[in-house]
Amino acid sequence: MRVIHHATPTHAANGVFLIVHANPNPARRRWLLRALQGMIGATVIAILYPVARFLRPRKATVSGALELVAPLKPKDLLNGSAKPFDFAGKPCLLVLLPEGAKRLAQGERLQTDDVRAFNAVCTHVDCTVKYRPSEGDIFCNCHDGVYDLDGRNVSGPPPRPLEKYKVTLRGEPGQEEIVVSRQA
Amino acid sequence: MKLLSTLRAFFDERLGLEAVRALARKKRVPNHGCSHFYYLGGMALFLFLVQIVTGILLSLYYKPSPDQAFESVRAIMTEVEFGWLIRSAHSWSANLLIGVLFLHLLTTYMMRAYRRPREMTWISGVLLLGLFMAFGFSGYLLPWNELAFFATRVGTAIVGVIPFIGDHLLLLARGGEDVTGDTLARFYSLHIVVLPLVTFGILGLHLFLVQKHGMSVPVLTAADGEHRTPSIPFVPHFLLRDMVGWYLALALLAALSALFPWELGTKADPFASAPAGIKPEWYFLFMFQTLKILPARLGPFEGEVCGVLFFGLCGLVVLLVPFLDRGGKSRMVLNVLAALAVAFFIFMTAWSWFSGPGQGVRQIMLGTLLVAVVLFLLIPFARAHSAARSAVYVCLAISVIAFLSASGWELMR
Repeated sequence: MRVIHHATPTHAANGVFLIVHANPNPARRRWLLRALQGMIGATVIAILYPVARFLRPRKATVSGALELVAPLKPKDLLNGSAKPFDFAGKPCLLVLLPEGAKRLAQGERLQTDDVRAFNAVCTHVDCTVKYRPSEGDIFCNCHDGVYDLDGRNVSGPPPRPLEKYKVTLRGEPGQEEIVVSRQA
Repeated sequence: MKLLSTLRAFFDERLGLEAVRALARKKRVPNHGCSHFYYLGGMALFLFLVQIVTGILLSLYYKPSPDQAFESVRAIMTEVEFGWLIRSAHSWSANLLIGVLFLHLLTTYMMRAYRRPREMTWISGVLLLGLFMAFGFSGYLLPWNELAFFATRVGTAIVGVIPFIGDHLLLLARGGEDVTGDTLARFYSLHIVVLPLVTFGILGLHLFLVQKHGMSVPVLTAADGEHRTPSIPFVPHFLLRDMVGWYLALALLAALSALFPWELGTKADPFASAPAGIKPEWYFLFMFQTLKILPARLGPFEGEVCGVLFFGLCGLVVLLVPFLDRGGKSRMVLNVLAALAVAFFIFMTAWSWFSGPGQGVRQIMLGTLLVAVVLFLLIPFARAHSAARSAVYVCLAISVIAFLSASGWELMR
């Protein structure tokens, strides 16, 4: 390719294409390049901003309830197989202690501490735990995490105790409603 | 700096980047009166990228079931931050993409870029246009609104009139006798899995062939000798100009999406009557209008069957253009057919777009505008100062004047 330093219309008409490096003005060239890069950068940001906002999860549609009447009665908890229920979007595990089960069988009034409620999400990596009446503990199937009936992490990988909810019982013996409440 | 060059050497050795750089340095693009048409392919590619990105984003919230599809799209439009923008961008970009592809096809035909050895580039391009129309058709159903529901019923019923295999195709397309949740699932799978996979394959071939054969030079310019045609380096000269095309597409897309968010309509009710004035997307209007005006029977045949076979034949002719053009008379016939096809497309689209009574002036506005666009594209193909160039100018002037008069008339009313 011929390099021509001063292009004339004749050159263009002859079909000679050239990149004119003649009379280079580095400052202006640098400024133009910066402007171009800046413009492209601004475009990328203008595109990424709505995309990032789009990716943000929607506002949760679960209730923020602080208190709930459990959909279970104490007698449902007798064999320890009651499933956790939805309390403000988290599974809530109800445990009837052995003493409570005894009292219930004898038709006595339950003590408040006989029924316990926990946030059933394991503190290790978010599996849902279950109550094991035979072992008298709360167990996580995923990684063999064990909690005692106070929710304290006893063995296995869980790093923290389970979150414990306050339980209130109201109504006639045997027909008590279980009210679970939590701190905001 | 030392670290940077070490890293660069590391990747160079393993990925062979030097070959890419050498290619980028070597690649040149012809520069002539019709070079602007080269940017249409780049714009289409850019819009396809927009489709991929916005499509993936929409799929994060969309739920393909008749019970939830409409509600999930409504949630995207109202609850998700910038959801309205992403969905509008997806819909508008789809329409712009098809529009750009029509222009790309038309200008490629005008430049006769399908000449040997580029026949397969043309064929893959026509297949891509068909694929993108299939994208449009399958995507249209996904919001499960009234319009989409009936458009899908009609569109799949048209497939059903194809002789011999129509019934089977209809069952295959709908996944049953009627348009149901299974149809939605099929269209969803088609739209986000099957079509993208096929498109990536054919698009890869198309781009590879464009790279392999280089840009075609129009006959008019090539007559002086292809090697004497001036050219510019691909990097950065052509790339920067291509970027202008991308920015144009982006600006148009952003403006349309922001000013005219895509409507959602009302949820489909499989047992309700079709709403008044129901129409498909604009790129199917010419077929829609033709089927509408065809009589029930054409001689011994059903009108609809004739229409469907006719459009099938048209598609086949477009696909085989490189082989039908054998110079001389055959080229003349093709050119006349192409002009007729474009005129037919414009006429039918303008007619169908404003279909209500008393819309004649608007039909003329749209028709003359489209004619002006096509004539404008023709300018570089007529030699400067020739009778042909003058004829193009005169026709262009007439259509612009007709458009302006019609617009003026419409504004005065």
